[in-house]
Amino acid sequence: MDAETKKVKHRHVELAQKILDVVTERGMIRGERLPEQALASRCNVSRTPIRKALQILADRLIVAAEPEGGYLLAIDPASFPGLEDEQQPAEETELYNAILRDLSAGRIADSQTVASLQRRYDASRSAVQNALIKLSEDNLAERAPGQQWLIKQFAIGGDAVAKSFEYRLSCEPLALTLPGFRRDGPAITSLRHSMDILRGMTETGFDQKLFERTDFDFHMLIARSCGNPFMSEALVSHHRRRRSSQPPVHVNAFRLMQSNTEHMQILEQIERGHMDLASDLMRVHIQLSHSQRPRLAGRGVPPVFRVVG
Amino acid sequence: MTQPKVIAFFPEASFGAALNCVGIAQQLRSLGARPVFICHPGFRGVFAEYGFPEYPLPSLGAGGQTDWTDFINRHQDAFRQTPLEQIRSYVGPTWDAIVDTAIAAEEPLRQLLAQLKPAVIVLDNVVMFPAITNAGVPWVRIISCAETELPDLAVPPYLSGCGGKPGPDWTLFAERYHKAVAPAHRRMNGFLAECGLKPRPPGEFLENSPFLNLLLSPDAVRFERQIPLDPKTHVYLNGCVRQEAPYALPAFAAHRDAPLILVSFGSLGAMDVAMIQRMIGVFETMPYRFIVNVGPWRDDYARVPDNVFLESWFPQPSVVAQASLFIHHGGNNSFCEALYYGVPSLIMSYCWDGHDNARRAQDVGVGRRIDRYQWTDTELADAITALLDDVAMHNRLEANSKAMKQSNGAAVAARAILDLA
Repeated sequence: MDAETKKVKHRHVELAQKILDVVTERGMIRGERLPEQALASRCNVSRTPIRKALQILADRLIVAAEPEGGYLLAIDPASFPGLEDEQQPAEETELYNAILRDLSAGRIADSQTVASLQRRYDASRSAVQNALIKLSEDNLAERAPGQQWLIKQFAIGGDAVAKSFEYRLSCEPLALTLPGFRRDGPAITSLRHSMDILRGMTETGFDQKLFERTDFDFHMLIARSCGNPFMSEALVSHHRRRRSSQPPVHVNAFRLMQSNTEHMQILEQIERGHMDLASDLMRVHIQLSHSQRPRLAGRGVPPVFRVVG
Repeated sequence: MTQPKVIAFFPEASFGAALNCVGIAQQLRSLGARPVFICHPGFRGVFAEYGFPEYPLPSLGAGGQTDWTDFINRHQDAFRQTPLEQIRSYVGPTWDAIVDTAIAAEEPLRQLLAQLKPAVIVLDNVVMFPAITNAGVPWVRIISCAETELPDLAVPPYLSGCGGKPGPDWTLFAERYHKAVAPAHRRMNGFLAECGLKPRPPGEFLENSPFLNLLLSPDAVRFERQIPLDPKTHVYLNGCVRQEAPYALPAFAAHRDAPLILVSFGSLGAMDVAMIQRMIGVFETMPYRFIVNVGPWRDDYARVPDNVFLESWFPQPSVVAQASLFIHHGGNNSFCEALYYGVPSLIMSYCWDGHDNARRAQDVGVGRRIDRYQWTDTELADAITALLDDVAMHNRLEANSKAMKQSNGAAVAARAILDLA
C-alpha cells in the first residue's frame, strides 16, 4: 500500500470513529438506522467519505448494510471502547509520535525547523509540516520567529502529569459552578449507559479501553457544557492534549472501577442540578486520581517523602 | 449474614514486602475475607490503590527534616562496599533504625489492633512487634527476604552473599555480623522483656510464628537444610505474584522487534544516577530494547538513546512477563518475579539479601551476578549477551516457570491464612 492510500485509509478510520462518537452522543441503540446526510452534516464532510467510513464499520461488523441501501447500527455503542486503527499509522502520525517521544527523551531540542526534522527522520517536507500542524492543533507546538517551531516541552516533561492535575483541580470543579452551565441530557444519558456497563464488570474482566473512552468523554462533556467559551476552550484543549501526549499512567483496575463510580456520582448531581455538590465531588475525584507513591522506600530509610506516581 | 473475617497485614516500609502482601490480600479478598493494611505513614495510598482499607500508624522515628543529600551520599558510599564491609557501614545502622521503628510503633500498633479486632495478623517484616504476639489472635510471619533469613547450619549467613559449604568465610561474616548488631540486639531484647516476651538469640530480631510461616523461596533456589523446617507451620510459596494492570510496551525509536531487557534496582538503587547513566552508555551500543526504572530521577537524564526507555513507576510483573532478561538488585520480589516468568536474572546487588540472591542465582544456574560497580563496558555487554544466548538456562527457567505458575503461591498462602481465622 503506497503512502497516499495509507493516508486516505487512515482518514477514513478517523471519520469512522467520529461517526461512532456522534452515535454515542445521540444515545443511539443497536438496530437504529444511520442517516448518511445527517452524519455528513455533523462531521462536516460530504456523503462520499461518510460512505467509505461506514464501509470500514461494516467490515468490522459494527454496522450492517441494509438490502435496500444504507446501514443499521449492529452493536451497542455504549459498550464499544473505540476503533483500533488497523492500518499502519500515516507517516505524519508516526512522525508526530516520534517527535514527542524524542523530545521527551532529550534526543531532540524543543526548538526545531522543518528542515532539521526532515534530516532527523528522513521524511518529506510535507510529512513534517503535517505532523507539526497536528502538534499545533493539539496545542503541543507553536510557530516561533523565523523558520522555527517550538515544541512544548512542559506538556510532556517529567512534571507534566502533576502540573496537569494541579490545573484541572483549579478549573474543572469551577467549570461545574459557572452560571451558564447547561446540562446535555442525551449525552449524559448515553455516558451513564456506558458507565453502567463498566460498573457491572469485575476487576479481572474490566474493560480498560471502554473506561478510557468514557473517562475522556466525561471530562470533555463537563468542559463543553460549562457555558463559558473561554473556559470551555481551555479545558477541551487541555483534555485533548493530555490524551495525545501524556504517558500512560499505570493504574489498577480497582482504582479505575472506583473512578467510574465517582464519574457516575458527579453526573447524578449534575442531573439533579446540585452543581456545588457536583463540584465538590469533582475536586475529590481529581485528588484521588492523582496517585502518589513513596519516592524512596527500604529498610532503614527515614520517613519517606512523596512524588507523583 | 456472617461478617467477613478481617485479616490485618502489616508489611514493612519497602515496596517488595508491601506488594507481595498485596498479592496474597487479593487472593484473600476473592475468598471472601476482608484484608486491611496497617502501614507506615509514607505508604498511605499504596494499598488503597489496590482497593484495600489502610490504617496508617502515626509518623514513626525521629521525624523532622531529612538531609537527603547526606542520606543519599552516605548510602551510595556503603553500596560500593563488599557485604563484609557493609556490616559496619550499612547493616548495623539499619538494624538500629529498624529497632527504633519497632519501639516507636508498639503503642499505636497495640491500640490499632485492639480497634481492628483482626481474626489473623500477617507480619511481613524482619523485626518483631510485641503488640502482634500479645494481640491474642493467630499471627503469620512472611519471610519475603531470601531463605537465608531463617538460619540453619547448612545455609549461608544472612546478608553475607556467601555460597557453597560452611567454611571460614561463613564464620568470619557471622562473627562480625553478631558483633556489629549486638548493641541493636541488646536494645531489642530489652524492649521485648518490657513487653513480657522472651529474648531472642544473638543476631535474631524476629521469632518464627507458632501458627504459620510463609517462605517466598521458590523451589528452584531452596536450600537443603540441616534441620528441615516443620511443614505443619512452614509453607514454601513456589511463586507469589500479584495481579497487576497490563503494561503496553512503548514504541522504541530503534530495534523495535529486538529482545526486551528490563533494568530495575528498586527505589534505593535508582538513586545512583551516574551508575545507571554509565550502564545506559553500554545499552546504546547493543541491539536490544531496554526499559530502565529511574525512579523519581527522570529529569536527571538529559539524553536517552533510541533503544532505551526510562520509566518511573510501572506494574513490574507485567513488564517482567514480556522481558527476555531482567537486570536487578537481587531484591527478593524482583528475583521471584523473574523466576515466575522464566526470565534470567543479571544481578548487581548492593545491599541486604540482594547479595544472597545474587550468589544463589549463579549457584543454581538461573542467572548471573556481576559487581554493581566493578565492570568494564565489554564485561557488562558480554554478561547480557551470554544470558540471552544461554539456551540451557532458558529451558530450565521455562520448566520452573511452568511449575511456579501451577503452584499459585498467593492462593496457597491465602488459604493457609484463612485456615487460622
